[in-house]
Amino acid sequence: MPEPATPSTELFSSAAQPTLNGRRCRACGYVFFPPQSYGCEYCGAPTDQLEPKSLSGLGSLASFATVHLHQGKEIEAPFTVGLIVLDDGPAVRAILMQRTDDGLKIGDRMRAVIVETNSEGGRARELRFTKEETAR
Amino acid sequence: MRKTLRQMRPVYVVGIGLHRYQRLSDTPYVTLGLTAVREALNDAGIEWKSVESAYTGTAFIGMAASRPMLRHLGATGIAMAQVENASASGSTAVRQACLDVASSLTDVSLAVGVDKPGPIAGAPGKTNIHDLVGRRVVPFTHFALLANEYMNRYGATAEQVAMVAVKNNRNGANNPYAQRQKAVTLEEVLAGPQISGSLTRLQCCPVGEGAAAVLVASDDAIEKLRIDRSRAIRVTASVSRSERVYRDAKNFDAELTRETVAQAYQEAQIEPQDLDVVELHDAFTIEELLYVEAMGLCGEGEGARMISSGAVDIGGKCAISASGGLLAMGHPIGPTGTGQIAEITRQLRREAGARQQPNARTGLAHMVGVGAVCVVHVLQKDS
Ligand SMILES: [Zn+2]
Repeated sequence: MPEPATPSTELFSSAAQPTLNGRRCRACGYVFFPPQSYGCEYCGAPTDQLEPKSLSGLGSLASFATVHLHQGKEIEAPFTVGLIVLDDGPAVRAILMQRTDDGLKIGDRMRAVIVETNSEGGRARELRFTKEETAR
Repeated sequence: MRKTLRQMRPVYVVGIGLHRYQRLSDTPYVTLGLTAVREALNDAGIEWKSVESAYTGTAFIGMAASRPMLRHLGATGIAMAQVENASASGSTAVRQACLDVASSLTDVSLAVGVDKPGPIAGAPGKTNIHDLVGRRVVPFTHFALLANEYMNRYGATAEQVAMVAVKNNRNGANNPYAQRQKAVTLEEVLAGPQISGSLTRLQCCPVGEGAAAVLVASDDAIEKLRIDRSRAIRVTASVSRSERVYRDAKNFDAELTRETVAQAYQEAQIEPQDLDVVELHDAFTIEELLYVEAMGLCGEGEGARMISSGAVDIGGKCAISASGGLLAMGHPIGPTGTGQIAEITRQLRREAGARQQPNARTGLAHMVGVGAVCVVHVLQKDS
């Protein structure tokens, strides 16, 4: 049996306000990120039940941590990781544009931005999050 | 019909042994493992030829670790296999040994955890599922995020979280098998170096090498081999679970522990207040706070105050991480869960010397592992 065709594994879509490429299970309604097509972790529904679901790149900051020790070469410490609960449901971890946690607090409104990075394989684009500058 | 471990024939820990946890050295894993197994055999007062199956908990050494090590005790032809379950490898080896005895497949079985740190080539990195952070979020940052969220939710301070390291290093200072055997002050813990978020170096466990061995046996073996029954400690629950999707929960780590421990209490027929000693997965300080709450030893958000109150010190209501825990005794991965069983056995035998919890009768060992999995054992001294 041939492998079922799988949707793109791109994590995000480019737009003025980028969106995250999640999945939704047709059988149980579970929405998740990062995308995968192996099967629904919640109910076990197979590949053909998992449909693309675009998730807004807006959310709120649920936690953050500035990393002071890092061995990989693709990013230099310090950098800050955030846990963002998307307005569309799933919680995602992302690198924040803020290099340290100065001025960050839990509950801050966050939005996704696409940045160009220098990875070992050359230039790459990745999705990070930044604090909304505008007051709500 | 399904049975719990306690409903099968009784299983007792009859022998324990360790090789000190230490920084990576040139010592072959064979030496580490044999040191622990020989100490456990001496402790039980039995010979290797009485052991009928062996499980080696290891995550880093590589394929086929058991026989190249155990053959040097005399190649008796017994069943042997490696058990890999991430940080819970040693706990799972103990569980397999207990199941062999409980089911009457054997009368005496060995669990030995042995490891030497090496490059991680874990399967979770091979699923071809990618996220936004990749290897830039390692365990210490996973737990730094949980620490920040916890402090914000309950108004706990970084000092209160760091107190876990002060307590566990104080305990570890009295454990000759511990990798870190030096008491530290709160100031020393907070001084850094900073690792991630509020976590400093002393709030992260050392991962070194070492070994721990546990021999379990049936009543029949205790009688036949003339093992000292007064030093035998019964295993009254062995529970192994894996993470579910907790759709309304924020903290999956705490939820997995909550349901695994709840099942262990039920199987052993005990309540959280019955516990005198607990060895838990304190790889990072914040974990001890999360897990004491998930275990029902205190209410939600009360963990920080409980640690500072002395209630979980040796001599308090329930000694937590009397061995020093992963933070001070160390976390060599394969041995860790087996070493917890050794510590609780020593405590329930009242042989823990300077770190003895008075009148200890009931103990619980808890490990979690990447995946995520959770393995819990309850040990009780027969009245
Ligand atoms: Zn589903």
